[in-house]
Amino acid sequence: MNNKNKMRKTLRSLMAGAGIVGAALTSGYTYANGPALKAGQEYMVVANYPNQIHVLDLQTDSLLKTCKVPGAYGPGVLQVAPDKKTVYMLTNHYEDVYGINVDDCSISFHTTFSNKQKYLRTKSLFSMALSPDGKELYVMHNPTKLNRDHYRVQDSYLAVYNTADGKDAKPVRTFPAPRQVTVMATGKDGGLYMAGADIYKMDVKTGNYDVHLPSRNWERPLYVQPDVLNAWPIQTPSKDFTILYTTARFQDEKQDLATADWIYGYLNVDLETGETETTDFGPITEIYFTGMKSPKDPNLVYGVLNRLAKYDVKQQKLIKAAELDHSYYCIAMNHDGSKVYLGGTFDDVAIYDADSLEKLGNIKLPGGDMAISTSQIFVR
Amino acid sequence: MNTIIRSPLAFAISAALATTALPASAQEDAVKIVQSKCLACHTEESHTKKNEGAPQWSRISHQRKTPEGWLMTIGRMQMMHGLQISDDERSAVVKYLADRQGLAPEETADYRYAMERRLDTMEAFDDSFFEEMCARCHSGARVGLQRRPAEEWEHLVHFHLGQWPSTEYQALARDRDWFPMAINDMVPKLAKMFPMDSDSWDHWQAAPKPEFVGQWSFAVHQPGRGDGSGLMTVTKQEGDQYSVSVDGQWADGTPLKGSGSAIVYTGFEWRAEIDLGGVITRQVLAASKDGMNLRGRVFEAAHDERGMEFTAAKATTGNSQIIAVYPQNLKAGESTEVTIVGAGLKGRVSMGNGVSIEKVLKRSYNSVTVLTKADADATTSANAVTVGGVNGGQFAVYKKVDSVKVQPAFTIARVGGNGGSTPKVQARFEAEAWGAGPDGQSGTDDDIRIGYLPANWHVEPFDEAAKADNDVHFAGRMDAASGVFTPGNAGPNPERRMSTNNAGNLKVVASVKDGDQTLQGDGQLIVTVQRWNDAPLP
Repeated sequence: MNNKNKMRKTLRSLMAGAGIVGAALTSGYTYANGPALKAGQEYMVVANYPNQIHVLDLQTDSLLKTCKVPGAYGPGVLQVAPDKKTVYMLTNHYEDVYGINVDDCSISFHTTFSNKQKYLRTKSLFSMALSPDGKELYVMHNPTKLNRDHYRVQDSYLAVYNTADGKDAKPVRTFPAPRQVTVMATGKDGGLYMAGADIYKMDVKTGNYDVHLPSRNWERPLYVQPDVLNAWPIQTPSKDFTILYTTARFQDEKQDLATADWIYGYLNVDLETGETETTDFGPITEIYFTGMKSPKDPNLVYGVLNRLAKYDVKQQKLIKAAELDHSYYCIAMNHDGSKVYLGGTFDDVAIYDADSLEKLGNIKLPGGDMAISTSQIFVR
Repeated sequence: MNTIIRSPLAFAISAALATTALPASAQEDAVKIVQSKCLACHTEESHTKKNEGAPQWSRISHQRKTPEGWLMTIGRMQMMHGLQISDDERSAVVKYLADRQGLAPEETADYRYAMERRLDTMEAFDDSFFEEMCARCHSGARVGLQRRPAEEWEHLVHFHLGQWPSTEYQALARDRDWFPMAINDMVPKLAKMFPMDSDSWDHWQAAPKPEFVGQWSFAVHQPGRGDGSGLMTVTKQEGDQYSVSVDGQWADGTPLKGSGSAIVYTGFEWRAEIDLGGVITRQVLAASKDGMNLRGRVFEAAHDERGMEFTAAKATTGNSQIIAVYPQNLKAGESTEVTIVGAGLKGRVSMGNGVSIEKVLKRSYNSVTVLTKADADATTSANAVTVGGVNGGQFAVYKKVDSVKVQPAFTIARVGGNGGSTPKVQARFEAEAWGAGPDGQSGTDDDIRIGYLPANWHVEPFDEAAKADNDVHFAGRMDAASGVFTPGNAGPNPERRMSTNNAGNLKVVASVKDGDQTLQGDGQLIVTVQRWNDAPLP
């Protein structure tokens, strides 16, 4: 326990910064005009203040269009639907999901979690995923009952929505769920992976869930409990659900932290097969907010925060790192694995060559800070 | 989500404890205000035996807090829950609640730094669970300055997670089942650590309270400015309000004069606002239980890092004490004027072995200024200073300085200004000289504190990273003579690596000249970002 505490203290100031940010209010909104997306072409979506979604054309690495979203910004978690046309955004201070048709910027779906009549204020901390057929949306709800002179925190639960239910959608099913879940993803079999204390898998028909891949409760001899935070549910071209961890491994049973190895690694669920991995990929030399496997070479892992770094997983070695103009939180890669796109914080997306880590350019976004938005790359 | 920090109200609130007049029949009025303003959400309860006759309200009547604590609570009701209340009304309620449901003097003793706005305090708690669960986001003092029964601590946990849902996801929360632990483990612990019912509070309520009216002989010490002393005259106004005049001088003769007003909360918590030569200052002081001393901190209202230590003795018959001696030291063979401050200072002045009193230059009931001379062959020693039969002063004579410590050894400054809403926060340092003591080795238990000496100041990179990022250039400027560090401008700096702001990690170096030798001491200064959430209690 003591050793675990030491570990936490070392890490704590580094990872806590991804918390909740303030928000600017939009007064009214208009739908941007812009071309519809073209089939077969690769795009990236990312959100920023004052609550808008940008579509970037990755053929030309330029801004294609901007869709305004009602309400206040934050956190800007995006999920691209299987139709590759509808983009779902968790926003309005973690209390609403909008489904936006990025062809014409129209709103196809909206739900607000809170219920004023029942004095319930409900938020979702980055937890949103879509069924493989796009017909259902899964959102973790964290409600608080606002009584007249005191609050009562309620149990967390999973809410299931029909995406066809339009602009006043209500949950069609709810299931009890563990607290502290952040990002989620669905497998090919429709099972819902929920990353919390451990990575759980839920049957979205019955609500039954169990631990699919342990993290807080892993049993790896000589390893301390890992520190895991993920606020960016990145939909990867390789269909991997990847979450970084940091940990320490003692040399022997004496458990001497002074001689322990400090390690970066990832937890991974293959969303096609459900296969899991717990893989160390290198020593900790700096912190990454997000990381992902290369779509073209699963032995390569990239991580970003203050540098963009590339690791050889088998050799557990840093291959290369690029200095950045400023911090970036969220990583994305194109489908052939040739380019890395960095979003989050400030108002520009930076593009790097995935092999050389040379900078290829920036795409400046209209509006303000992306903050902790999730950027997603997809092929229409 | 950070509504507190964005609201101009937050700034107004932190300034509100000593400024507003209370209505005449304050208690009755305060009850009426609570009844008209608070019962939209709170409910009136049946009277308990303990509070016979006094109205009881849900939540409100089941907590005890400092004046700052009550101010924060009502401020939060304004900012988050739509309470409409005037500043005068709020003052009346704070006064009423702090008096009836305050903390006893000893209940505040460990945490006064928070009320005194010593915002560079490095808190350390033996109880790591308390530290991780509570003092991870705000000061532990904010918790330690409240008293609640278990039920109310439980309400507080629900409020925290309900209001800030990310609480259970953050570092040192996501490693554990935070919410069940907060409810099942932390709540009983807090109810035991900081209970609503206490003997201290019962005794304090029944005890005779200090009398503030009269004259107070005070001494101040401000890093970068030095020592001063004078008389503070307190005159009674309505209720527990007072008018205050300050008449004194700094050691260099500069006047230290001003006037203002004060309110006393809970019988001993003195909060004053004094215009000192055009600078608005606040006094956050506590009276000793016997009413013979006032102690605490005085700071500029607009720059609370610019503060002075304040000690006062009631200038009244029967109170004889020494509260300050300045300067703190004298080198062998040299002479200097020394001022001894206190009350009831009659009789012969003694500065201890090796120091002779050449002449009494000035003398009053509250202070004596003497010309002293240290023997040429005096050895380094920390001497007791007495005036007649009054003890309590300290004065060092030294042959040579053997080591120098920078005080504080670690502190922070904050970038600011540059068009932003938050001013720069300076840091101030002093060079503390030490003698090696009988063993001739510095850094051992027998070292003798000589005290503060003038120094020449500069900053260096604290480590390789600071050097590579040129923190010395960007983070601010040290004033070589005063030891006052003024940080750089706020905001991203395009000239810096990754356009980072003007933060820095600096080694603060003091060079003290002592005869032919120059000694150096160093400390650490972190220049960091603005404090956005600047609540009355950090």
